Amino acid sequence: MNMIETNNLTKIYGNFTAVNGINLHIQKNRIYGFLGPNGAGKSTTMKLFLGLTQPTSGNFTIDNKTYPKERIQILKMIGCFIETPAFYGNLSGEENLEIIQKILGLPKQSVTDALELVGLTQFKKRLAKKYSLGMKQRLGLAGALLGHPPILILDEPTNGLDPVGIHEIRSLIRSLPKQFNCTVLVSSHLLSEVELMADDIGILNHGRLLFEGTMEQLKENAKANGLPTDNLEDTFLAMIDADNRKRGQVR
Amino acid sequence: MIFSLELKKLKRTGYMPAFLGGAVLAAAVPLLHMLVRSETFIVLPGEPLNILYDANWQMMTMLNILTIILCACIIYHTEYSDNGAQKMAVLPVCDNHIFGGKFMITVLALSGMLLFEIIILELCALHWFSDYQVQLTDLTKNFCFSLIASLPTIILMLLIASACQNMWVSLGIGVILVFTVSVFPKENLFLSLCPFNSPYQTLALVTEKGKEYIFLVTCIAETILLGIAAHKLEHVRRYFS
Amino acid sequence: MNFISLIGVELTKLRRSKIILILLTPVVIMWIPSILNAKINFNLQGIPITPEHNFFIQGFMGMAWFMIPASLLICTTLLVQTERNHKGFLKMLSLPLSSTKLCLAKFTILLLLATVQMVMSIGTYYLCCATVSQLQNYNFILEPLYVISNVLQIYAGAIPLAAVFWMIATLIQAPVFFVGTGLASLVPSILMINTKFWFLYPMSYPFYLLMTAYGKAAEGIYETEIAWLPWLPTAMLITITALAISCIRFGVSERR
Repeated sequence: MNMIETNNLTKIYGNFTAVNGINLHIQKNRIYGFLGPNGAGKSTTMKLFLGLTQPTSGNFTIDNKTYPKERIQILKMIGCFIETPAFYGNLSGEENLEIIQKILGLPKQSVTDALELVGLTQFKKRLAKKYSLGMKQRLGLAGALLGHPPILILDEPTNGLDPVGIHEIRSLIRSLPKQFNCTVLVSSHLLSEVELMADDIGILNHGRLLFEGTMEQLKENAKANGLPTDNLEDTFLAMIDADNRKRGQVR
Repeated sequence: MIFSLELKKLKRTGYMPAFLGGAVLAAAVPLLHMLVRSETFIVLPGEPLNILYDANWQMMTMLNILTIILCACIIYHTEYSDNGAQKMAVLPVCDNHIFGGKFMITVLALSGMLLFEIIILELCALHWFSDYQVQLTDLTKNFCFSLIASLPTIILMLLIASACQNMWVSLGIGVILVFTVSVFPKENLFLSLCPFNSPYQTLALVTEKGKEYIFLVTCIAETILLGIAAHKLEHVRRYFS
Repeated sequence: MNFISLIGVELTKLRRSKIILILLTPVVIMWIPSILNAKINFNLQGIPITPEHNFFIQGFMGMAWFMIPASLLICTTLLVQTERNHKGFLKMLSLPLSSTKLCLAKFTILLLLATVQMVMSIGTYYLCCATVSQLQNYNFILEPLYVISNVLQIYAGAIPLAAVFWMIATLIQAPVFFVGTGLASLVPSILMINTKFWFLYPMSYPFYLLMTAYGKAAEGIYETEIAWLPWLPTAMLITITALAISCIRFGVSERR
């Protein structure tokens, strides 16, 4: 069953097409890796799901709910983490989470749990603006995980973390569907990372969806197109390169 | 709930100290005035409180309005500086409640400030004018009048602050408005009803002209209209971000 | 790096800051009521002043009392904030530069911006004069020497004020509170120039100078001569002290 489905979703800023008629199918209780170089439209797509920006055309459903009619219902199901961590600099990490906890109507314990989950417990009293980049990132993740929402949208969650942190967060995300029964949409520009986390992959370049399917399908697809398959990073790069070249010819 | 959350967000922003500082400064105006030039005022004919209002209220109100501007900027700066507003936008909470919470907090803070100033004015009257007696009904009336007269200013300033993500832009607009309005002629009823100009009026002045009900009703109507505008703005913003 | 090229660097930092627009807005806004209320200049209520002088003085009243100090305040904030935002200041402090020099260069920029606004205000004045003269069929234009010398005086009188603002800006870290303090300090300047101690309050200097010009143009309104003696030494002392303190404190909190 598809948790999130889009139908020719398009977003145009002025004369720049950020998202170009994409059709995504994100299945329930699976991790969907959203892959693409910088500026491919990953963040814009995620912002569209959260109602942070309006689609130019096309539409999407989340758990069979439509936007903008059921915006509040949709937001109640989603925990999210977008680009730069969003928080109140004048409040401590714990206070920031308490605000979210109260709005979502969750028990107080959930704040402690979330802090524990991302490993911020010992820094919970520190002001959020004094946090290091990695800690801000963890705070953002804690805010997304608060109350175990059925859908998680994470935009490059491992940005700015050290190798140990990356590993921790990756295993955490990996364990989420089983632990809390949730669907995860996670974006990255590193295939190696997505490969370790995701069940399904969508590859985006210049706002268009180049590929959607499982890792095995990606390999088969690459073989059929004569692209290298022994190293997935090369497959990804070759795929983007081929697409860029094709676009160049069209132009 | 939203009210307590909004209060929590104001921790360590300097919002309350700003209001306190504004109140102390504004209250210092009549005190200093009387300390330095009391002999000019005690010989004037008329009600002691009216004399004090005439001499000081302009300057006190200007300080009040500047405090409102500053605090409106602070209250929205915490939302925009570290993307807090973006987090709010993805939580199932109505934007209008956030605006309403901020409005309520500002109204409450300003009531404290006005009450403090009016009490100081009364104390000045008691101390320097020999036969003056405090009348609680007058005090309450003056307080309510000034508070209602300030409502349009508060809501318009919050509207400006919520519309401009850059605090300096809203601060600049506010300051320019204060000083543009301060050169308006004060006798004109129509102009005196404008936000940023209405707080300068005193109950005694308006009653003298017999316009107190029109004045109060207009101020409340302006507040409601601007409230609706704020509601619409949230919708418009969603479609342009 | 010498002082002149440092000023060049500081000017580059102001690119795309819309500062000229910020300086121009108050100048234009202050003149709109003057044009609309131009008729008032013929109704002088017994004050012995010519309509054209009245137009000049009343027009600059708002400028001298509030807009010039407020513009200085905004420019100071802008100069300080461009450094503090995105930690640009830390980069500057890590370069081989004397922080005193940097502090004084920034103060020079502040004065330069005030000069730009002065030129704009004279230009706007003459534009308004021409408009009003056309509308009212009366020549409101005063000779340039009188206008320029008076406006120059008002702006020169704002230098101690600029130094004090610059000092407060280096002392108060939170920009909102700096602006708040600055704005609040302007409100009582009208009160101050009517007391004996006006010369101790730099915020009232530009207004005092305009009022003496008023006194010269209309007898009996205000003093006709500038009280140089207690004023000039006090003003210089205030300026030098304020600049010294700001040079000492400049960048100290960033280097903690």
